[in-house]
Amino acid sequence: MENTNLSRHISGQFNAEIESVRNQVMQMGGLIEQQLGNALKAMCENDIELARKVIIKDTEVNDFELLVDQDCSRIIAKRQPAASDLRLILTIMKTITELERIGDRVTDIAKMTIENHGKKVPPMIGLENMGQIVLKMLHDCLDAFTRLDMNNAIEIHKQDKKVNRQYESILRELMTFMMEDPRSVPFVLNVLASARAIERIGDRCQNICEQIVYLVKGIDVRHATDEELNSLIED
Amino acid sequence: MIDLAKLNAKSDELNNLTPEDTALEVKNLDLYYGQKQALFDVSMKIPKGKVTAFIGPSGCGKSTLLRCINRMNDLVDICRVDGKIELQGTNIYDKSVDVASLRRRIGMVFQRPNPFPKSIYENVVYGLRLQGINDRRTLDEICETSLRGAALWNEVKDRLHDNAFGLSGGQQQRLVIARAIAIGPEVLLLDEPTSALDPISTLTVEELITQLKEKFTVVIVTHNMQQAARVSDQTAFMYMGKLIEYADTNTLFTAPQKKQTEDYITGRYG
Repeated sequence: MENTNLSRHISGQFNAEIESVRNQVMQMGGLIEQQLGNALKAMCENDIELARKVIIKDTEVNDFELLVDQDCSRIIAKRQPAASDLRLILTIMKTITELERIGDRVTDIAKMTIENHGKKVPPMIGLENMGQIVLKMLHDCLDAFTRLDMNNAIEIHKQDKKVNRQYESILRELMTFMMEDPRSVPFVLNVLASARAIERIGDRCQNICEQIVYLVKGIDVRHATDEELNSLIED
Repeated sequence: MIDLAKLNAKSDELNNLTPEDTALEVKNLDLYYGQKQALFDVSMKIPKGKVTAFIGPSGCGKSTLLRCINRMNDLVDICRVDGKIELQGTNIYDKSVDVASLRRRIGMVFQRPNPFPKSIYENVVYGLRLQGINDRRTLDEICETSLRGAALWNEVKDRLHDNAFGLSGGQQQRLVIARAIAIGPEVLLLDEPTSALDPISTLTVEELITQLKEKFTVVIVTHNMQQAARVSDQTAFMYMGKLIEYADTNTLFTAPQKKQTEDYITGRYG
């Protein structure tokens, strides 16, 4: 089904409303991406100034959520969207919830950076690597949302497995570290919390991908298996 | 759980209705007004005890199709019909079918309420009197059940012998529905029954429609898509005389399969 004709409504006003709300989601996505990038940078480079900035900027993310939600409920009340319009609005509402929660996780990472400043912590290579994968996932799934690219969304969906594997190996590494030096436990637990936060961001990107499939295809793929998802890929 | 198979099965459900569950079956129906063809090879099964809505832009043939179902088009001289419409297995276009008795089985309600210039009571029992039923007790009883069935009883029970023109538009429309159900039809055809009504009367009539399907098969033509979404169990989208998509209403309004349907229900340029 063709979905790239969002601006072909007879009502120009409706076109404008939909366009505006989509733009806001993209802006919000861009902001989150930047936030995550900065939080990871702050973590790796031990830059507490940057970490503080990330925490302050989270309020902007929250404001976006309120704004988009308000616009969506207004569109529902006034336009009674159906079919792809309805799916777009539902997808947007769910996506911004996911984005806002990603925002919260990003702040968690920044807080950990501040708490662990100057402490003896395990090397962050694995964490940095995992962070980069998740950052790319977030970037790509926002891109897929913009382009309504279902095939890509399904591809991104699969990458979460890689993140999960990395998370498990980081977990093992950190446990060894704690056993070797029990005094480090409080700080290592912080690192662990960050790893968990990054892993959860991957899950949330996966949720956004599922929403994109619903938007494009009208099929609910939450809780679907990989084979079922693969069967949807179009040439 | 995703289920492409289930989605497909759902659209097949309407095609695979058993004869017992089918109220009406339209088979390869073509209709011509003179040289102009107005319906092209329409085939569909209308399930019993459900509300089926026809939607589509003006001139798409939805009213024409509805009118075919109780042979209203017979009144149009230049109109010619090919194909069949079967009511419980009998083709209603068969020569042996008596139109008057057919219309007793398939009642129709129009866009503008058209009560007769008589009392409320006489309006409801008009069809029965035509059939030669004049027993006071029978008429009283059917009048009450029909008016109750049309959700009008409580508003008019104290003034049954007042002129029907004294009722509001919404009440008149429900009166006409009461008149249609008084003769005990199997199918009720509603041709834009709320387009001349205010929003509140519209809601009352919509509420009535959902109650009516317990006893009758309802087929409704409406220009108001949200109304089709609200009241119907399945929806047929027609365009330029063709049946484009016929599916379960929930599917049609959330994830239609055809682009033309999508464009129409979302208000896009076709």
